[in-house]
Amino acid sequence: MKNRLKVLRAERDWSQGDLAQRLEVSRQSVNAIETGKFDPSLPLAFKLARLFGLRIEEIFLEDSGQ
Amino acid sequence: MKSLFCMTSNPVERRYVVRMWVAAGLCVVSALVAAVAFRLGHLKDLPAYPVAVLPALPILWALVETGRFLAELKDEFQRNLFIQCLLGGIGGTLAATTTWGYLEDFARVPRLDLVWVYPIFWLFAAITYPVVYQRYR
Repeated sequence: MKNRLKVLRAERDWSQGDLAQRLEVSRQSVNAIETGKFDPSLPLAFKLARLFGLRIEEIFLEDSGQ
Repeated sequence: MKSLFCMTSNPVERRYVVRMWVAAGLCVVSALVAAVAFRLGHLKDLPAYPVAVLPALPILWALVETGRFLAELKDEFQRNLFIQCLLGGIGGTLAATTTWGYLEDFARVPRLDLVWVYPIFWLFAAITYPVVYQRYR
């Protein structure tokens, strides 16, 4: 699933490690989510949304053709 | 995932690694104790059973600890990686032991002692780890 995590992170000048620390997950988790290789669970998606002050659908984008 | 092989800063992973090493040590010690007991004590019939089962107890404990580790691991991505490694271990063990079973039946290869199933499982889990990890790089 595509997402805007990299952009949102860059806007706040956060590294993957910074975001991982805020989410209480590993940096590898942030990288996997950011690159669209791993889809987070709903609780983690809500946590991300809360952290960025956005709605989930403003962070995660539905893949085209679905 | 580094927890499988070395120490880590995550307390849950660290606890798991320590317990797995303790279980492995206990398994070796209890196997030696059982071997010596059977050699010196000439155990047979009913008294032989608890001594024979002794080395399996740390293995059961290790499996329980693996389940507990999965339940306690907060990072869902890491948990996902670990589950994939375990599935690789289970699948590899089933494939290898079944294939070997047919080889025993039809090609008369040496019989595989069932005590090797557990190490074979972890061997396949360890082999799966770099494959799974590579997918998420």
